[in-house]
Amino acid sequence: MSQIRNLPKHYELARRIIYVLIALAVILPYFFNPKQEFKPAIEVENIYKKIESIKPGGHVLISIDYDPASEAELYPMTLAIMRHCFKKGVIPVVMTPWPASVGIARLGCDEAANDANTMFQKKMVSGKDYVFLGFRPGFSQLILKMVNNLKGSFDKDYYGQPTQGMKALEGVNSLKEIDLLVDIAAVGSVEVWIAYGADKAGIPMAAGTTAVMTPDLYPFYQSNQLMGFLGGLRGAADYEKLLKISGRGERGMLAQSATHVLIILLILGANIRLFFGRFFAGGKGASR
Amino acid sequence: MIFKRTIPLLIVLGIGLLGFMQDYVPHPWSASLVDEMTTWSLILGGFAALLGLYSLLHMHWSRMRRKMSGWGYSAFVFIGAIGMMAVGFFSDSIGTVTSGTERVSLYDWGYDYIYIPCAATVFSLLAFYMASAAFRTFRARNLAAGLLLVAAIIVMFGRVPLSETVSEWLLGDRQIIPNMAKAIMDYPNLAAKRGILLGIALGVISQSLRILLGIERSYLGGGD
Repeated sequence: MSQIRNLPKHYELARRIIYVLIALAVILPYFFNPKQEFKPAIEVENIYKKIESIKPGGHVLISIDYDPASEAELYPMTLAIMRHCFKKGVIPVVMTPWPASVGIARLGCDEAANDANTMFQKKMVSGKDYVFLGFRPGFSQLILKMVNNLKGSFDKDYYGQPTQGMKALEGVNSLKEIDLLVDIAAVGSVEVWIAYGADKAGIPMAAGTTAVMTPDLYPFYQSNQLMGFLGGLRGAADYEKLLKISGRGERGMLAQSATHVLIILLILGANIRLFFGRFFAGGKGASR
Repeated sequence: MIFKRTIPLLIVLGIGLLGFMQDYVPHPWSASLVDEMTTWSLILGGFAALLGLYSLLHMHWSRMRRKMSGWGYSAFVFIGAIGMMAVGFFSDSIGTVTSGTERVSLYDWGYDYIYIPCAATVFSLLAFYMASAAFRTFRARNLAAGLLLVAAIIVMFGRVPLSETVSEWLLGDRQIIPNMAKAIMDYPNLAAKRGILLGIALGVISQSLRILLGIERSYLGGGD
């Protein structure tokens, strides 16, 4: 904080102008929102194709590993994957190993189930068409237990219905019977799910992470430990495009384009200033 | 000494070896042993959460008692924690409140309309700080910094839909700029990340062996 206070006066002014420009770049595009054309990434398409290939009644386990701080990036992809499951008749099994994520997972289940009613004219019932298992502590230990005994790890769902004999979990006793595992994460949980969950159970896995975490996923994608991934809001937009649904991801693309372009222009402007500063000062000036 | 050092070390060695070996023993006994061990671990995890809560409240209570700088914020921790716990424990007797078109518990209402907006707001401030920091510090002072700058600009631009329009307009193909961004992520980024991951994995293996063999004992306390 003290460093910011000690900035030269012109930097203090520049900082305030930048804040106003960023605010405008984020807010204004939502008022215009023209249709943007873009090609979905192959990593996203792989997940879409995988869920398309699962027979109705199959199961996709979705682990919500983010709290409301990352809602803007990760909630749209949660909704997109759940909507796809509902559209296909695949059963999403939603859970979270983080106490702060329970509410956002509950909201995702409720919103996607309501959307299924309006978008696909399907009435989704908890415990029959989807299941929200809620929260359990232990994380890596919980995953290890789920590999052998999923219903023992969650004896009741979030709403208190026993998982034993639940229609939505018919034929699923452990992680090994899950058709696809999807980890939507803002923390370093993807590696843990790969090592203790997907690899041990021998099931395919996909991930969705914040854009800043996405570079970490490439080694796992190349080694086929991840069959696909969604990177940030663009990942959600790609998925919505494949699903032919206009959602929060697609709506956020213009704001993201404007913000990225603005940041690039700011960086270029600062470097041009540095270059000309050095040029006019004989290579010594404009050090900051 | 035998109770403070030898027995704990033997327990760690025994449990560690059991955990390690169960991967290679596909017998149902092995699976049920893992199931039992993880159940115990989950129970301990529940108590650890209580311990964490006690530790957090104790720290903030101390800050308030000593009237340390910013102690008023600690009061908010108590208001939030006690308030949410109270509405959670007594949600049945409190009843429900209206949220949009639905009736939800007061606990869910607090999460949806206080926690989510506050957390999302704090995180969204990052965009402002990042833009300001990029403007002030992202400079091509030498060749390495210049390469980093160019790569960052390509990836940043290649990730947004506008890059496809610009690519078609400037280069006649919608995918040239996005593909350049993808190539940077697929090759240099992947190579660097894999190197880091291998380094971490080797570190974890050596540290695990040190703990199993009793060389690393700092977790026992006592300063060695």
